[in-house]
Amino acid sequence: MSATSDDDRANEVLTHAEWAAALADGELLGQRCSDCGHETAAPKAACARCGSRSLETVSLPTEGVVYSETTVAVAPAGFEGGYRVAVIDLGEARVLARLEGDAGIGDSVEFVGPLEDGEEPAPLFA
Amino acid sequence: MTDVRVVGVGMTDFGVHEQPLPELFADAAFEAFDDAGVEGADVDAFYLGNAMGGQTERDTHLAPTLATHIGIAGVPCQRYEDACATSSNAFKHAVRAVEAGDHDVVLVGGVERCTPVTGLDTPEMTSVFASAAHRQYEQPTGLTFPGVFGLLTTRHMHEYGTTEEDLAAVAVKNHRHGTLNPRAQFGKEISVDDVLEGPVVASPFRLMDCCPFSDGAAAVVVTSDELAETFDGEPVGVSGIGHATDVIPLADKADLTATRSARDAASEAYEAAGIGPDELDVVEVHDCFTGAEVLAIEALDLVEDGEGGRAAVEGTTALEGRIPVNPSGGLKAKGHPIGATGVAQLVELTEQLRGDAGRRQVEGAERALAHNLGGDAATTVVTILEGMA
Repeated sequence: MSATSDDDRANEVLTHAEWAAALADGELLGQRCSDCGHETAAPKAACARCGSRSLETVSLPTEGVVYSETTVAVAPAGFEGGYRVAVIDLGEARVLARLEGDAGIGDSVEFVGPLEDGEEPAPLFA
Repeated sequence: MTDVRVVGVGMTDFGVHEQPLPELFADAAFEAFDDAGVEGADVDAFYLGNAMGGQTERDTHLAPTLATHIGIAGVPCQRYEDACATSSNAFKHAVRAVEAGDHDVVLVGGVERCTPVTGLDTPEMTSVFASAAHRQYEQPTGLTFPGVFGLLTTRHMHEYGTTEEDLAAVAVKNHRHGTLNPRAQFGKEISVDDVLEGPVVASPFRLMDCCPFSDGAAAVVVTSDELAETFDGEPVGVSGIGHATDVIPLADKADLTATRSARDAASEAYEAAGIGPDELDVVEVHDCFTGAEVLAIEALDLVEDGEGGRAAVEGTTALEGRIPVNPSGGLKAKGHPIGATGVAQLVELTEQLRGDAGRRQVEGAERALAHNLGGDAATTVVTILEGMA
């Protein structure tokens, strides 16, 4: 572990609190690995692909394509069934989000902000 | 290194059980003891699988509680939690301990209650199951476990043309197998139309694409090949175990249809056993949903990628097919008491390898594989067993 990567780490560890605050303000943040280039929409302390701790915070694209989707009819306690959950491909990263409308796999969708009916923030696409 | 044998097996019926966890577990453990011909005093250690007792029963530190209930207090006890792969991971560690010479005779078991006898209704239990998804980046979307496998399966349908009828054929097959298993939760045949007419749980899955909520327990006794001769139970050999994980959350997985951990665990297990998929006679896979069986048989290389959807339709995976998958009825028909499931697969396969599986016996079965998957396929344990006769 070099001194350089230690310095990078000190500057660039996106926390869930920061990610959630940005989401509430209408911005979808993620991380890019400085070593292997992997991008994620779910911030971590190290890269999920290569283990590097050299991660930079990035603003993710607001336009993406539906990669997979499901309509949840039987919901957990605290949710009202009948909503759609999707994996959205944002180019380099993919994100799990709520999906409004009838877009299917391969269709273009847009980030519209935070999901408002949940107790905790989740990205909403339409 | 010491070779390891399963010398005793036991399990309860899967279904609805009013008994508290210790009483439920004792029924399976004593059946395994009696099958092996061991007494509690012979047991050196206890490896337990229980995934959710803290959430469902307000009951933790279960391993010594259960050990005490069955008269083996004092031995080293440990409890594993790896979502639905819980008790096969307990089994793996028990096998490693015998191989290493740490213990000679080990009880491995799993127990769980998931039906409304826990006091939890469907939304509450759905929420408990969903706790295996990422707390910050998945749970807030309202993702459920049928939804997790819905995402994986919808992508498979897109890439390979797998249909809802293909999925339904898996349920039809496993329900048919379940009618031959007196311990199965469901003992009734169903049709493709029955599946397709059911209410949606999470698309593409309808009610009968999904395994039920179940209560139950399963147990095995493992020992060394040397000591196995001194016990009553016909021994079955543990010829290979593979255990691998993948990233969480699922949006970060490189490939949604690969179930990467299953492929990695299968490679490790095949290599350890020195066999390939063509040499297997019978397989139990983790069919929590019909689509999960499709992904599993591809990951285990029983069929080519993309052909998993046709396997049940064409009879490839039926009891009388090229490679029988889930003769027990699988999670789909036998039931899925989370922490008991992995060991229950090994109970089924031990009976198959002994020729004791009754009407669901795969004739002449000599080599068997269990695939036990946890969470969104972030954990998979693959175990290969071999008959000794």
